[in-house]
Amino acid sequence: MTGKLWAVIRREYLERVRSKAFIIGTIVGPVLMGLIMVLPVLIMGKGGKLLRVAVLDASGVLQSEVEESLREARRDGEPRFDVRPRGSGTAEAREEALKQAVLDGELDGFLLLPEDVVDASSASYYGRTVSNQRDLNTMRWMLRDLLVAHRLTDAGLDPEQVRELTRDMDWRTIRLSEEGEKEDEGLGILLAIILLMILYTSILMWGQVVMGGVIEEKSSRVIEVVASGVPSTQLLAGKLLGVGAAGLTQFLVWSLSLLGISLATAGPMASGLPIPEIRPLVLVSFVVFFLLGFAFYASLYAAIGAAVNTMQEAQNFIFPIIIPLILGLVCFPVVLESPDGTLAVVLSLIPFLTPLLMFLRIVILTPPWWQIALSLALMGAAILGVLWVAGRIYRVGILMYGKKPTFPELMRWVRHT
Amino acid sequence: MSEQALVLRGVSKAFAGHVAVRDLSLDVPRGSVFGLLGPNGAGKTTTLRMVMNILGVDAGSIEILGQPADQATRDRIGYMPEERGLYPRMVLEEQLVFMAAIKGLGRREATERLGPWLERLGLADWRQRKTNELSKGMQQKAQFIATVLHEPELLIMDEPMSGLDPVGMDVMRDVMVDLRRRGATIVLSSHQMDTVEKLCDRVALINKGELVLDGAVGEVKDRHGKNTVVLAFDGDGSFLGSLPGVARVSDFGQYVEIRLEEGADPQPLLKEAVQRLTVRRFEIVVPSLHDIFVETVTGPGEEAA
Repeated sequence: MTGKLWAVIRREYLERVRSKAFIIGTIVGPVLMGLIMVLPVLIMGKGGKLLRVAVLDASGVLQSEVEESLREARRDGEPRFDVRPRGSGTAEAREEALKQAVLDGELDGFLLLPEDVVDASSASYYGRTVSNQRDLNTMRWMLRDLLVAHRLTDAGLDPEQVRELTRDMDWRTIRLSEEGEKEDEGLGILLAIILLMILYTSILMWGQVVMGGVIEEKSSRVIEVVASGVPSTQLLAGKLLGVGAAGLTQFLVWSLSLLGISLATAGPMASGLPIPEIRPLVLVSFVVFFLLGFAFYASLYAAIGAAVNTMQEAQNFIFPIIIPLILGLVCFPVVLESPDGTLAVVLSLIPFLTPLLMFLRIVILTPPWWQIALSLALMGAAILGVLWVAGRIYRVGILMYGKKPTFPELMRWVRHT
Repeated sequence: MSEQALVLRGVSKAFAGHVAVRDLSLDVPRGSVFGLLGPNGAGKTTTLRMVMNILGVDAGSIEILGQPADQATRDRIGYMPEERGLYPRMVLEEQLVFMAAIKGLGRREATERLGPWLERLGLADWRQRKTNELSKGMQQKAQFIATVLHEPELLIMDEPMSGLDPVGMDVMRDVMVDLRRRGATIVLSSHQMDTVEKLCDRVALINKGELVLDGAVGEVKDRHGKNTVVLAFDGDGSFLGSLPGVARVSDFGQYVEIRLEEGADPQPLLKEAVQRLTVRRFEIVVPSLHDIFVETVTGPGEEAA
């Protein structure tokens, strides 16, 4: 008996692992991950071209000072601004000329300081593009510091001394967990969201693979021979285990390549790379919640595959079953905002939401063990229920050809077998 | 060891209000080749599917190789369904080894046994090819290997000959005869009456889900009496059907098979024919299985469509 189950698992696993889709997905995955991690650094490092700006100070007090500061402004050790002449003539004529230059593309933008710039503490930036927030912020903070320094001097204080007294505080956020403290500047959240997306996509994708396999067995009519040798429960179990193992294989390859990328880039690029550390608990729970989510949703997918004759027919049935999964994705900001709040705790305990939301909570904080245990128990019970229903639909459906069954008919299959 | 390879007792099956098989009882002796006949929709496939537990029985019992049917006894059956099916993207060798594995045969042994079978059915060069690269006929042969690789004691084949060219049919027939000599029991359903007549030693005819006829082929034919007249002639034979004592005529134009009524004398028919036609052949024979089939299914006195 176990020999048959094993034969089915083996067949399913090998068929998936040898498929082109698997090979491409397994290779493309890490390449994409690598790009996502390396590209921003490369782009930010090179910084793009300098911003061509001019300064028009109506007060005449700050003109050269601002220009000088812009020239000296550095980000990641690179200059950011190419300061151009402000032109000649009256203030109005210069402003018009600069606006025209921006429109003509000769200039990226200009700073306009009003006559009472020091007292009013106001300034404007005109540019074709104003979405380059990082450059604009650099400019803004620099200008503010200059204005503050001027007002301090006017009030008879020593700017150097004031700067020393009002220096910025050193603000750090440290995440505390049982495994110790860890400095976290929001990368943890980013990682959580990325992992959540991978989890969501993987559950959906591998569920679809199971459904495709069931439909293929039906349409190629091979199911009748197979079903005469293997009881339908073993067939369904073998299918879920084989395809699930293929999914795990893909994660394994991804994890190893991630490790490889981390090790390879750790040396030459040093600290430049924001590679977040993945805790073992996160890795383990990723696998566990993938398997739970997969078992739950793939059983439903298998039932749909058995009920229909073609992929097209399956479309109508798919939506209702993936709604809970989408719901989990929709709820994630709630959990992110207050991972230990009552709502987050309740949501993460609802079985069909558990794979996504409890996982998210584990990534951003370590929930109490009893909550994790309860969620696993509830999810386990839900999986058993779904397997029972799906198994019955599967058993009837795989040998049923012809008209696509209606939902009440499916319910009848579940009751009368 | 039981004398019977397969025993059905009072088996019934209904689908959504219509009865597919009604109170069917059959005995298939060990070592026999058993033909399950019947028109389309008679319930042949449903019956075989119930034997394989692909469909559950509503009532009745099934005994396989002397034991109540369960998965273990079914593993000793080789089943070739009417709708052939193989995994399209699987390499032939793996496919066949898998099919044997789900019948309980080990991988190594299956791989060893595979060679001679592929050789015999002319598929040796295709061993490492994907199934969807094979022609329909080759897939049919591959399906047959999948049916016999685990050396079943009982073979159940639904329309084994359909889709084969004459050469393929001969190969298949040879293999079946061979398997039978080695002690296997074969149950096949078919529409090809001449094949059934030559290959089978027992037949059962079911119609509308009920058993209407069964027994050894010779016995079934004897039961229908030696009252068939074969007549070959030149001329217009359309009057033959209206002669007294004629029950039914299978009209091929210049050749007719005439079933006489019970106890009717063929001599007046011969006289009448000689007067109105140029008779080339006149012979009194036992009816063919084909005729018995048509007559039983359509009822006596009715003209076959």
